[in-house]
Amino acid sequence: MNAIEINHLRRIFRAQIGVFNRSIKEVFAVDDISFEVQQGELFGLLGPNGAGKTTTVKMLTTLLIPSLGSARVGGFDVVKQANEVRKRIGFIFGGERGLYWRLSGDDNLRYFASLYGVDPEVSKKRIPYLMEMVGLKGRGNERVGGYSRGMKQRLHVARTLLHDPDILFLDEPTIGLDPVGAREFRNVILDLQSQKKTILLTTHYMFEADALSDRIAIINKGSVIALDTPSGLKKHVSDLSVVEVETFGASEIVIEKLRALPFVDALSVEDRDQKQMILIQTERGAEAVPDVISALEGQRVGRVIVREPTLEDAYVRLVGGGA
Amino acid sequence: MRTIRKNFRLFWQGTLLSYRALFAWLRPVTYMASKIFMPLAQMFFFVFLGTYASGKDTSDFYVIGNAIQITSISGIFGVTMSVGGDRDAGTLPYLFGTPANRFMIFFGRAFMHVIDGAIGVVIALTWGVLLMGLDLSHTDLPALGLTILITTFSTCGLGLLMGCLSLLTANVMFVNNFVYFSLLIFSGANVQISTLPVWMQIVSSILPLTRGIAASRALAAGASLTDISVLLISEIGIGLTYGFLGYFLFSWFEIQAKRKGTLETV
Ligand SMILES: Nc1ncnc2c1ncn2[C@@H]1O[C@H](COP(=O)(O)OP(=O)(O)O)[C@@H](O)[C@H]1O
Ligand SMILES: [Mg+2]
Repeated sequence: MNAIEINHLRRIFRAQIGVFNRSIKEVFAVDDISFEVQQGELFGLLGPNGAGKTTTVKMLTTLLIPSLGSARVGGFDVVKQANEVRKRIGFIFGGERGLYWRLSGDDNLRYFASLYGVDPEVSKKRIPYLMEMVGLKGRGNERVGGYSRGMKQRLHVARTLLHDPDILFLDEPTIGLDPVGAREFRNVILDLQSQKKTILLTTHYMFEADALSDRIAIINKGSVIALDTPSGLKKHVSDLSVVEVETFGASEIVIEKLRALPFVDALSVEDRDQKQMILIQTERGAEAVPDVISALEGQRVGRVIVREPTLEDAYVRLVGGGA
Repeated sequence: MRTIRKNFRLFWQGTLLSYRALFAWLRPVTYMASKIFMPLAQMFFFVFLGTYASGKDTSDFYVIGNAIQITSISGIFGVTMSVGGDRDAGTLPYLFGTPANRFMIFFGRAFMHVIDGAIGVVIALTWGVLLMGLDLSHTDLPALGLTILITTFSTCGLGLLMGCLSLLTANVMFVNNFVYFSLLIFSGANVQISTLPVWMQIVSSILPLTRGIAASRALAAGASLTDISVLLISEIGIGLTYGFLGYFLFSWFEIQAKRKGTLETV
């Protein structure tokens, strides 16, 4: 049995726009998604902001009714058997909210344990165990309001493991964490993976998905545009190289000129303070460099590097580049 | 049997923890002020005003009326905070993502406020006896205690309904204040209900507190529990009605939020 089965799932939001001239705008947040996640698998859902990741997770966690299609989690229908699903899943939406800040960490866990119907005898042992697991040992008596963001996010992990769920949904769990906090958090995820939990992880951090996932679905504008193992996804771009060009204040016009070059497969721009990093995917590799440089005639150009593609480049190609 | 135990635990734990988690007057100083001095101020004000208007011998009328009405600090403001607080804390998705019995969650939110409100009334009555010449020597005190509990309970019922409104809109504080001050009049705390216009009397009759205050005054004047039993039973009925209306609104809110996607997550 698959842990998660998604069948032509759709979610349409109707938003009213305009005060006088009332018109209804339909947002196809999730537009016909189907995939399965096997038991014990760590499945990454990767996509840009607004792609529909959170909407998908909300439907799978019984917090949002699908417009069309269906999904089963742990063998139960997320709409018709919502309570059975709830007993078997844990979930986290990134961010530090969603805890009772006036209560201590331990009291938060006690309350959620009672909401999940965990036997007090069990939770008495489980709460300290989980606090230790997420690195909050000895901090359980402190009010959550005084916790750092990373501590709050790790307390969320403890919260969601109280009833020992088999299936976990982690929606951008490392969002807003500093690099050290994010790394600690990823270690917790690896720990969960070794406990044979099924995990659906959404993120827009490429390396995070690459490092953790068994398989990844790339989702854009509500649709799955690729689904493969990380190395399988990289094969999409194995015929390509990436030319990285550092520029200083290159205008839109110049970038459009580059994009129009016949050998440019995909192009993206990262702004870094004063400078920009232009990433060009091309089959021509190093041979493309002279043409790129001449297209940048009159611009200040810094370092130029040619390298092998990464998962991020595969993603850029699939999602379609763009600045 | 297991389910019953589980639900009892949920109710009890939820009661204690949610009270501490979601009730904003947690700092001891503000809490003491709201429990001890605010009732005193309110009572002084209305007793002074009332006796000025209608004579010294009417003092007990205002003392008892306001002492009982004090319970709506807990019943209206406290319960609203406890129900609506989840919206501010961002805990709604985590709450509604659990398989927990919604009935227990909902009524658990109010329970501590019943006790809290009753304590407030006792403090207020004590002020009345100590400072405002209230004489309870002919009063059936256990019956008065029961009346206080029942009145507090029914006021919390209205609070539960108000709390649900606060899940729907952000500006419920305004409505709460409006209800609180309306109760000063409509409940008969500071006016003889029989002197009110008919429409106001009708409103009075469907609000909590009204019968509780009437019963307390009767007890202070020497009535027995049997004399006021009809008032008390009606008061319980009113509390249950509001409480269940609140519960249906709460259930409706959950369903609606899941349909429309308004259950915020971040
Ligand atoms: N409650 C809502 N009402 C209206 N539109 C929504 C709502 N939630 C999400 N959307 C829209 O649906 C799309 C997908 O959002 P979301 O699932 O949050 O994306 P992601 O998590 O991938 O960033 C976005 O265009 C977003 O604006
Ligand atoms: Mg999201």
